[in-house]
Amino acid sequence: MSDWTKERRREDHNIEHEKSFGPSRWSHCRKRGVNGSLRSNSEADDIDKRRNGHADSSYKHPDRRHASFTTPESTGPVSRCGQQADWGSQVEDDEMRRDVHRDMQRYRRRILGAEFTQRERRASSGSSGSCDSREGDNMETDEAVLLRRQKQINYGKNTLAYDRYIKEVPKHMRQPGVHPKTPNKFRKYSRRSWDQQIKLWKVKLHAWDPPAEEGQDKTLDVVEELNLDDVMDIELDFPTITDSQNSQTSLPIHSLSVEDEDCGTPVKVQRTAEPNMS
Amino acid sequence: MENSAEDYRIQSFDLDTQRLLKTALKDPSLVNLEKVSNIIVDQSLKDTVFSKEAGRICYTIVQAEAKQNNGNVFRRHLLNRLQQEFKEREEMRARSLQEWVCYVTFICNIFDYLKVNNMPMVALVHPVYDCLMRLAKPDALMNEDEVDCLVVQLHRIGEQLEKADSQRMNDLFFLLRDGFLLQESLTSMARLLLLEILEFRAGGWMLSSTAHKYYYSEIAD
Repeated sequence: MSDWTKERRREDHNIEHEKSFGPSRWSHCRKRGVNGSLRSNSEADDIDKRRNGHADSSYKHPDRRHASFTTPESTGPVSRCGQQADWGSQVEDDEMRRDVHRDMQRYRRRILGAEFTQRERRASSGSSGSCDSREGDNMETDEAVLLRRQKQINYGKNTLAYDRYIKEVPKHMRQPGVHPKTPNKFRKYSRRSWDQQIKLWKVKLHAWDPPAEEGQDKTLDVVEELNLDDVMDIELDFPTITDSQNSQTSLPIHSLSVEDEDCGTPVKVQRTAEPNMS
Repeated sequence: MENSAEDYRIQSFDLDTQRLLKTALKDPSLVNLEKVSNIIVDQSLKDTVFSKEAGRICYTIVQAEAKQNNGNVFRRHLLNRLQQEFKEREEMRARSLQEWVCYVTFICNIFDYLKVNNMPMVALVHPVYDCLMRLAKPDALMNEDEVDCLVVQLHRIGEQLEKADSQRMNDLFFLLRDGFLLQESLTSMARLLLLEILEFRAGGWMLSSTAHKYYYSEIAD
């Protein structure tokens, strides 16, 4: 175990002297006591020390539960001071940081372009939207948050399921609700909300897990996707302009694709596929 | 368009290894990238010709892997192996000057080729400076091979290094001036090389045409 967790436990044990933490009815289900320290079951403690933080598949918890019932102790938080990290990780972190900053700039440009177009359309159609999507002003810019979110997204995209998904369903064929959509890391969300979105997204992606036996899924013969950046995966949701109209005559705008780069950004708006087309 | 073996200077490897490297260049997922990175590093430490150009083959493998599956297994192994050798560079230098010189050449070559979003890898800036500072120490300046290595690297990556950390470049050149001026044990060739690099940097990492004539007019090809 790392020095960090050892120290924490020492502090906790000091506090424990002053209060009594008698086992509650439910404490046998819990790995940790109320103060966060591992339950001071002396037998479990000894075994913990021998286990040295690794889950041993043959080890049985004193409550006769399998060791995998509880989360194995990790080595605790890893220091992020550059000196200790290996060069491989340093370069990866550096690269991720740069990617996030580049994504941020591109996203800002997309938003500004999209907002402008939407305002024009709204003005010409004569209606006033109740929701002004001023995403540009209210986007998440905290680097630490963006990095964390990007890492979570990367875990999800680094899967066979995701690979198969993007090959099978081109972006313009995606149906909202049916097809998983990568959460937008630039939107303001609470930590819980974001984590939940990620969880749901990954669960949905499992539908494209490689089959155990032979192909149940027919892979559509599609044109290979352009190698777009993460930013292009972000679909911009704008509220429908004419909510009251029949959905068949007016489809919500689901994705904007921007022809990027330094010379002006023309914005192309694509309609998603008709619902009865699949 | 296929890059021939000569482009990557892999003729010095045996045929099996050449085949392995060629596969790594085209289809990285088919090979053991850790093994490939070790092969490349090992050879770079032995072969002075290879160490000067190994950066290219590394760059191509990194790109190929990134494109194929967004991976960076090869880069990670390469860098961590470089870090291992870096930690023991003093012993390496004591053991074999040639290996040490090859190592410095190789790590500078990697610094030159392997960029991240078109920027040099920040993690390598200080290690590269450490190596060059070592070469600028009095005991190293006495060896022409080490002086030669030092000036060659500064020609190739000096400008980039200075942009990344100008203070350390100043420190390095303090040592070089002192060495040139005060160290009696230097050979005249070593002095020439040092004088040239001092002028080179003073001129903004290039030589004026007259200076170029002075230093290079008598050099064959």
